[in-house]
Amino acid sequence: MTEREALGRRRRVVAAVVASLLVLGPLAWFWWSSLVPANASVMDMGYPDTGGGPAAASGHGHEPEDGPRVSVATLTGPSGGVPDVELTLTADAGPIEVGGRTVAGYTLNGTSPGPTIEAVVGDLVQVTLVNRSVPDGTTLHWHGVDVPNAEDGVAGVTQDAVPEGGSHVYRFVVEYAGTYWYHSHQVSHAQVRGGLFGALVVRPAAPQEGVEAVAAVHTYGAVPTVNGSTGDLRVDAAAGDRVRVRVVNTGSGVLRAWVPGSGYRLLALDGRDLHDPGRVAEQAVLIGGGGRADLEVTVPDDGSVRVRLGSQSVIVGPADDAPDGDDPRSTLDLLTYGTPTDVGFDPRAVDRRFDYAIGRRPGFVAGRPGLQWTINGHTYPDVPMFVVSEGDVVRMILRNSSGQGHPMHLHGHHLLVLSRDGAPSTGSPWWTDSLELAAGESYEVAFVADNPGVWMDHCHNLPHAQQGLVAHLAYTGVDTPYVLGGDLDNTPE
Amino acid sequence: MKTAYRVLAYLVATGVFVQAGAIAYAWFATLNDLDGGAVIDSDWEGNLGHAMHGIVGTMVIPLLVIALLIVSFFAKFPGAVRYALIILGLLVLQIVLAFVAFGAPVVGALHGANALAILGVSITAAQRVPRSTTTTDASAPANAVA
Repeated sequence: MTEREALGRRRRVVAAVVASLLVLGPLAWFWWSSLVPANASVMDMGYPDTGGGPAAASGHGHEPEDGPRVSVATLTGPSGGVPDVELTLTADAGPIEVGGRTVAGYTLNGTSPGPTIEAVVGDLVQVTLVNRSVPDGTTLHWHGVDVPNAEDGVAGVTQDAVPEGGSHVYRFVVEYAGTYWYHSHQVSHAQVRGGLFGALVVRPAAPQEGVEAVAAVHTYGAVPTVNGSTGDLRVDAAAGDRVRVRVVNTGSGVLRAWVPGSGYRLLALDGRDLHDPGRVAEQAVLIGGGGRADLEVTVPDDGSVRVRLGSQSVIVGPADDAPDGDDPRSTLDLLTYGTPTDVGFDPRAVDRRFDYAIGRRPGFVAGRPGLQWTINGHTYPDVPMFVVSEGDVVRMILRNSSGQGHPMHLHGHHLLVLSRDGAPSTGSPWWTDSLELAAGESYEVAFVADNPGVWMDHCHNLPHAQQGLVAHLAYTGVDTPYVLGGDLDNTPE
Repeated sequence: MKTAYRVLAYLVATGVFVQAGAIAYAWFATLNDLDGGAVIDSDWEGNLGHAMHGIVGTMVIPLLVIALLIVSFFAKFPGAVRYALIILGLLVLQIVLAFVAFGAPVVGALHGANALAILGVSITAAQRVPRSTTTTDASAPANAVA
């Protein structure tokens, strides 16, 4: 081999090594930057988005702080006072029976769903969660109840996961009558889907007459159920009775509810009454994952009426059967349903504006390659931290160009829908905590920042949340002592 | 390196067979479950076949193709890098097609057709590897990195 040949060979090897580094370097960097550090605080995650408002003491990163910082651990419900509603919920991991099959799941006080908690507006509710045998730890989140931050039940953000053998006391006052539910917010994609949830009903202070029922719709594996049963839910009522059916969609997907051959009224959505709800016929109500809808049906003179909840049914009346019918396909438009009334704040007096644009692209999340959800173009954990100050009027535009639907759930607040795809809301004020964002849709919503803390703002299609469709809303001056991971392996998604 | 190239190219081809088998199994198993009374809604995450298709398609085959590209820089035969790049391009297209097909299912047909292109090109690439272990001087200049 001549010297020249040897030189040429060496050059080729160098070129090959450089080319290899050019391929592997960016890949390694993308992989490495997608890793979620162990024991990370959500306060250090991603980047702050102040929405045009002041960023002072946003608490993001480790910049020097001025003034005292409030820990979410101090943002509790009333510490004194005798609870009006008090109960203990004991969580277990174990087999549950669904439709004659035994499947792996979770129970509260031995059942799935857990017991329905019933309270009256103004009640102080105290729930002691005992984790008897859930290996990953567990928590309880009060879905739709705008509780003080420390009672919100998000592992790694507002508390540590309750380990096996541990317990945790939640105390909060229920301020709005409505239909809510509670569920684990630790490894929730597995625990909620496996049955670790229950319904929570808050009734108005004035005693209510008439019949009502809770219908919690849940799919265990591939078995759809209402209140844990695969059969029809029977609600006994007399002819002429007006019956409120409180539908809870505990699943990840859209639930469609309709009343074959009869009219109905939609009284409330996500724990807020609708104003002047009119009669609906030949239309279905669309309930996003985590959402609730209260339907009122009137029992006919000649038997029972059926409320269809997807493939399942609620039979209301004296008879065991009722006329059935297919999904009317047409969907009730909540932008124009009911009539307007005061919303208690001026959505035009905006202090902060945010975008929450959901997309999808190939990339890494937590070291795993795949087609990842993006928030404003970023993948988890490099997601925005929406920063607000107490008292701000906040407007947020939610867009979905990801090709799939997402039920977006902001903790601790109710969102007022202002418009969808540019069409304004002209009916009843449409308050929501679980807003189904279909593929291609955009919504503008507004809310008042009136509940200090650090709040999750995530997709309630729980596998999507686990895949990284999670952001947070943080109040200036508030910090959390809890971390993702940690000794208790906090994993809220 | 030539042997490594050939083995990796054949492994990519094998991956396509695995993917076709996994997705066919996934949907036949689904139909069978539906006949058995199962109900599918958007909570449903698929079965073992779907999981396997997802893992092999987004992790195993991409790793094989990247390894093939790296090896191609060192494998001294004409077209080594070019074929590895074509396979990489087809793989990226395949993943994009899958992504688009979730929103526009008709695009899924192209995802199926493009799989056959990956299969064909990876087998061709494997067969192009010279069998002899010695490199002739005449072929050496063609080894330049693309």
